[in-house]
Amino acid sequence: MLLKLLPHFLSWAGIVLVLLRAFPARRPVCAALGSAGFAAGVAAVCFLLRAFPGDLAFGIFRGMMGGSLLLLWFVSVVAVYRSTTRDFAAPRGGGVTDGPAFAGACSIAAGVLAGAVCACRVSGGGPGSLPFLLLVPAAAALAFALLPLEARLPGSLTLSRTALVAPVVALLLFSSSSLLRLDLFAPLSMKVMKFAHDFVHQFMESMLFPDHFFIRSYLWGYIGLLFGEGVGFWGALVIWFTPVALVLLALQLERLPSVAHIRQGARRRKLLATALGERRRRLVIPLLSLAVFGGAAYQSRYPSVEYWDPKPLAVAATPAGEIVIPKKGDVDLQDGRLHKYLYKQGAKEARFFVLMGPSGHFTVDLDACAICKPDGYGQAEGTVICYYCKTLIPLETVGRAGGCNPVPINFTEKEDGIHLDALALINEWGNTVQTTTKVKEGGK
Amino acid sequence: MKRLLRPALLLFTSRFTPPVVVGIFLLAYIGIAFFTEDALIALMELTRHSAVLVGLLALLPLNALGRVATELRAVLARRRALSGSGEPCAELFDERVELSGSCDFDDLKQRFAGLGYRTRQAEGSLGAWRGISGSPARLILLAGSFCLFLGILISLTARNSSRGALIEGEPLPAPSGNGGVVERIRLAEAPGLILSKSLEMRVAPLGRSAGATYGIYPPGRHQGAYVYPRYLGIAAYLQFSAPDLPQGYQTHTVLNIYPPGKDAALEVPNSPYRFVVSMPEPADGSDPYATGRMGIQFKLFKGKDALFSGSVPAGGELVRDGYRVAFPDLRRMVITDFIEDYGVQFIWAAGGLYCLALLAWLPALCLRRREVLFVRREPGLILACSRSEGQGMAHGGIFNEALDLMESRNP
Repeated sequence: MLLKLLPHFLSWAGIVLVLLRAFPARRPVCAALGSAGFAAGVAAVCFLLRAFPGDLAFGIFRGMMGGSLLLLWFVSVVAVYRSTTRDFAAPRGGGVTDGPAFAGACSIAAGVLAGAVCACRVSGGGPGSLPFLLLVPAAAALAFALLPLEARLPGSLTLSRTALVAPVVALLLFSSSSLLRLDLFAPLSMKVMKFAHDFVHQFMESMLFPDHFFIRSYLWGYIGLLFGEGVGFWGALVIWFTPVALVLLALQLERLPSVAHIRQGARRRKLLATALGERRRRLVIPLLSLAVFGGAAYQSRYPSVEYWDPKPLAVAATPAGEIVIPKKGDVDLQDGRLHKYLYKQGAKEARFFVLMGPSGHFTVDLDACAICKPDGYGQAEGTVICYYCKTLIPLETVGRAGGCNPVPINFTEKEDGIHLDALALINEWGNTVQTTTKVKEGGK
Repeated sequence: MKRLLRPALLLFTSRFTPPVVVGIFLLAYIGIAFFTEDALIALMELTRHSAVLVGLLALLPLNALGRVATELRAVLARRRALSGSGEPCAELFDERVELSGSCDFDDLKQRFAGLGYRTRQAEGSLGAWRGISGSPARLILLAGSFCLFLGILISLTARNSSRGALIEGEPLPAPSGNGGVVERIRLAEAPGLILSKSLEMRVAPLGRSAGATYGIYPPGRHQGAYVYPRYLGIAAYLQFSAPDLPQGYQTHTVLNIYPPGKDAALEVPNSPYRFVVSMPEPADGSDPYATGRMGIQFKLFKGKDALFSGSVPAGGELVRDGYRVAFPDLRRMVITDFIEDYGVQFIWAAGGLYCLALLAWLPALCLRRREVLFVRREPGLILACSRSEGQGMAHGGIFNEALDLMESRNP
């Protein structure tokens, strides 16, 4: 458990250090309110898990992580405008960022999210378990232990208000990316892929471009790249890294002090050199944030989770065209795990799985969805994952049609096992795979 | 009135308007994506039917237009200032400093000319500049943005589309109902880099209107609507009779069965019969649609049972076990959209303007614009201004050294 919590506590420590450095005049307040926020985050997860068992708590906090990324986007765009606009009119109450309320609010908000992520990590033991109870004192102790440590860091390592959000959000996303159900990068890739597909399709229709049938295949091959998984991944990377890049750009474009009124060349040069040096040092923390964002994306792309992905077992149909899978036998269908099967009919074949969900009901689904290439599904941490687009589907929703959910198949549950129609299965697989393969290979 | 005009003017000329508007649409997209998989299409529909969102979207072209005016005004004001005929306002320059003393502009002129600056001396002022201004590129970019967002706005709110089957020998299925007869549809291999096929749809003259030929791209126009070919298929005349259907069944139908191998279903109404038809692929590999040697391959079903399958050439028939299947007439058909959309041209223009802006920006990026201006305000007072596009550290040094020189000559 300690090892599992290590990346989260490292992130928490990083967040505390950033807050202490950003608000040097209010260091104890930041440590105290950050810890209070952490406790509130843990309590919120505890409450939500008790009140709404299932995926709601994870959904809420993943939404909040998404909100923090949007906030970083907002801050970075404003920062670029501020740096490139002469006489930038600061919004009313611009001085608020120097007040204690702002420092406190930042500390609490960061603490709530960091605490929630840690609590989600230990949620496997159930809310109210010992690891849950130990989280808060451990986080508070760490925050106050960092007070003297932060004071020893080089004073030149400064952090502007503009750059404050970047490291905090980077560390929060790094922390959440190790939890499949809080990870933001994988669903972002999927959404970008879907958006790119819809956009290209709409653009081609709006601009009256001819269908792929009229276009040279080599050219359509290039257009087809826009429909692939690569676009989702690279597009998500752009969305992921751009706000920090914009913060760096904003710092780099900050206007140097006016020296036209100084008539001693040496004084002018010294003033400019000092300003340039300070600007360079202010780039250090956003650059480190860029690396943390990279780490979060890597962790999401190559999670250290082992998926349950059994080899499909071959099944045959009865002369009446029915496939029967016994509930107990070589495989126990009631063990809550996903069980894959392969049915062959001549040259045609279909892959499907049987799963008993958390509600105790069976579901039979194709090992493919209606959107992606049929790379199949694996099971982990209360979810199944689409290997193609890395979308997580909560076990509670497996069996419902739509989106990246596995395509459900009609079946009958009888005493002896699960019964399904072989022809319907083959047809459904054929229709699904034909559609998704066409789409992913560049069909409009 | 002024109170109302000022915020409106700010909205139409501010650099902040586009990111704020785009941000609002982005948030709307994210919100919609929580509820539907087709978020983009849903957002387009929502925008089409919401006056607020249309108004918000309309801010983008208006803002681009407003910023074109602002940029033009700044360019002209700067030109006037450098030529000595205008007031060097503070917002036109990066640095502005007043020095006491007098100065010989001839010396300064020589100094800047020696450093590669072009100079212009007027009575009481000296302007010097070098490099290429990025303003023309910015103006073109803003004009491109105006066209792009105006095109999107028009396309979203005023696009009309209707679909029809364009069949050889039949009248053009134009939305107005006024179309000549389609004389010929011709499909051929195309030698181009982009299109693999060429399609020619020849429409005969009707009344006083001349005939027309429509192709694939760019799409031709009929009475203001683009003729946008979507899919190819066959218009067939089917005759069918069966032992339990002695009166027979006959129908004209359009079959979306091109290219060969693509299936289409055909129900015989009020009967258990159903056809699954496709176009057979000729053994010589030729394209039946292009050559006109078309036929129909079919499977006949009665309920869930497959009765038999066969192939019938155009004008031929197949008789078996009391069944008769005939296709006396097969014609080329193109499923065509007639689209009235005046936004398309604006979007195309935007693409061209963006390319032009890139071409104009590249030299300005390599040879950054630097400007200085010295103006004699009154006896013993000189106003010095400097501006550089990009960082311009070296230019700043040159400007400051010129100021040092001026002051050293005025002890």
